[in-house]
Amino acid sequence: MIEVKSLKKIYKDTTVLDIPFLTIPKSECFGLVGNNGAGKTTFFRIMLDLVRATEGNVYVDGEDVGHSENWKSKVGAFLDEHMLLSYLTPDEYFQALRKIYRLSKEDLDIHLERFRDLFNDEILGKKKFIRDLSKGNIKKVGIAAAMLGNPEAVLLDEPFENLDPSSQIRLKKLILQEKEANQVTFLISSHDLNHVTEICDRIVLLEKGLIIKDLEDKSRMTEELNSYFNVL
Amino acid sequence: MIKTFIQLEILKRSRSTSFARSLAIGIFLGFMALLLMGYLLLIGIGMKYIIEEFFSPKNTAEFLNTYLIYFFLFEIIYRYFVQQLPVFSLENFLHLPIPKSGIIHYLLISSFISPLSIIPLLLFGPFAYLEIAPSYGLIASWVWLGSVLLTSWSIHWFMLWFKQRFEDSFVVILVLFAVILLGSGSAYFGWFDIGAFFEPVFTFALEHAVPVVLLALVMVCSYFLCFAFYRQNAYLEDIGEEDPFHSGAASLGFLSKFGMAGEMANLEWKLILRHKKSRTYLTLCFFFLLYGLIFYVNPAYVSQDGFSYLFIFVGMFITGIFMLQYGQLFLSWNSASFDFFLHQRRGLEALVKGKYLLFAGVSVVCFLLSIPYAYFGWDILWIHLATFLFNMGITVHLVIYLALWKPKPMDLNKGAMFNYEGVGIAQFLMIIPMMAAPYVVFLPVAYLGGDYAGLIALGVIGLLGMIAYPKLSDISVQKVLNNRYEISSSFRQEL
Repeated sequence: MIEVKSLKKIYKDTTVLDIPFLTIPKSECFGLVGNNGAGKTTFFRIMLDLVRATEGNVYVDGEDVGHSENWKSKVGAFLDEHMLLSYLTPDEYFQALRKIYRLSKEDLDIHLERFRDLFNDEILGKKKFIRDLSKGNIKKVGIAAAMLGNPEAVLLDEPFENLDPSSQIRLKKLILQEKEANQVTFLISSHDLNHVTEICDRIVLLEKGLIIKDLEDKSRMTEELNSYFNVL
Repeated sequence: MIKTFIQLEILKRSRSTSFARSLAIGIFLGFMALLLMGYLLLIGIGMKYIIEEFFSPKNTAEFLNTYLIYFFLFEIIYRYFVQQLPVFSLENFLHLPIPKSGIIHYLLISSFISPLSIIPLLLFGPFAYLEIAPSYGLIASWVWLGSVLLTSWSIHWFMLWFKQRFEDSFVVILVLFAVILLGSGSAYFGWFDIGAFFEPVFTFALEHAVPVVLLALVMVCSYFLCFAFYRQNAYLEDIGEEDPFHSGAASLGFLSKFGMAGEMANLEWKLILRHKKSRTYLTLCFFFLLYGLIFYVNPAYVSQDGFSYLFIFVGMFITGIFMLQYGQLFLSWNSASFDFFLHQRRGLEALVKGKYLLFAGVSVVCFLLSIPYAYFGWDILWIHLATFLFNMGITVHLVIYLALWKPKPMDLNKGAMFNYEGVGIAQFLMIIPMMAAPYVVFLPVAYLGGDYAGLIALGVIGLLGMIAYPKLSDISVQKVLNNRYEISSSFRQEL
């Protein structure tokens, strides 16, 4: 599904990202962990062609993200608030997206129905603008927007951050469900090791832009990650 | 898609927390634009008669053709300052399946829908109809008008590219200065006549359709130059150039002598040097130092006794441009960290006073740098001194007081690409009331007691304002303190 080849991002003289080769197969739940400044968000931004790579390419289904744009309808993403239109209410925002994705009203309703539990009656049908919502609710809007239009891959940056515990559990359920039912590939970066080890089939550990661990064995994940992150 | 974009744009504006302010400015601007366009149309209709009356050339059309180039040079300058790319938050749309090229086309074409685009039509349309059509035929008049319009529109695209490509670099000042020199220098000192050099292009258009075809090609090329540049740089990061001021911005040590306010001024100075947008304002200051060259050397303004009253205006600009421009976005510069100042003990007061200090400092520097203008006459030095005092004592309070009316949040860290918040025509028009202030003082006194008495009055009022500084600055501080909750919530709301 996603292929990364000799990718490098260099700011002035510091290399913030250096990934020689990485493939993410379809319907994999791919976790990205690492300390602050490891390059997680930069990696996501380059995958979405929001930031230019200094060297190398990212391919979505063989399509170079820097050179064409067809992949955009296959990939949904929510990295930060700037991806939303904060001056709209959530309803209006979903309607705007519906037009951009050329979906019918029914499609949108079916889509939002899946988020009913996660939204917890606090998002839809309210007159609040997105900019006035709490951080957790902004995140929920962003996640629902990222999954709109049946994308084949979804990139989420810190999806569990700012969510209350029950919402975190609901989100995990939702991700697993989507993966099962629609073969969606998820790319998730998180600091919450418990959550990522629980839902991800594979976890990649970044340190200063380099992949230093690529874990696919579910039984060893927790142990390996704990040994890395445990500082004394 | 376009319809959606337009709808979203309308919602964005109407829901902005500073909607009232934007609306008021918009109405004022719209009114001014209509008025100006009316005048331009009148000039356009009268142009034939004006030329015949005052210059009585052999051939009115060819005479106008020699002077067209000056219009275009002037157009380059006003477009540089006034022309604005619609603010468009690219990051909200980049990740969606909308073709980037579509977004850029929308952006560029909407920039074209502006009164600026029809100025040449208003000015030269009537001339083509009244003068060229009768003597050269209807087709010739269309071709001629077409050539003029296409040239102007090529300049439009070219300036969009130029402004973004060389923003904040020294090249801009050099080029603009060269353009001014080329225009005024060649005309007044007669180095060479560029008018005569370009005249054949438009005269040729009177007889042939070739220029219009060529100019159409030029316009298409300039559009795609612009398009290619914006398309290539439609990323969240800036264009990959080294930022010379980023790391080693010096702090102004002497400011610390002024206590907490001095520290704030120091912080503000760093803010200015470390953000591209604010640096542009500082560069503008130096550009306006050269502004005097246009007026002081111009024989039209040199009179035998006394001086032209227009020089007061020039003096206000030269010594006060920084406070006039930067001051208009008074608190917006700090919108990202307003809560920080709110959280400090007496932080807001120090912030406001620190800004006063900074404005005063920059004004002093501008005044000192403008002293060499004395070469063009001692009068100019006195004018600068009087306007400098007036700026320090009165204008600064006026600007700050007006700027505190519903301040708008501004994201300084956003890439400079596609980010035109706070730079544009509104900023220039807001200056108008400020420019009227010195004349309110100067004109009556000058009428009663002579020009120099007027200057003395300006200076004395300025000095009085400086003496009353604690009281006057307190008004602004109180205004910020009273509205602090509204201001901070509006800054927090708009992401």
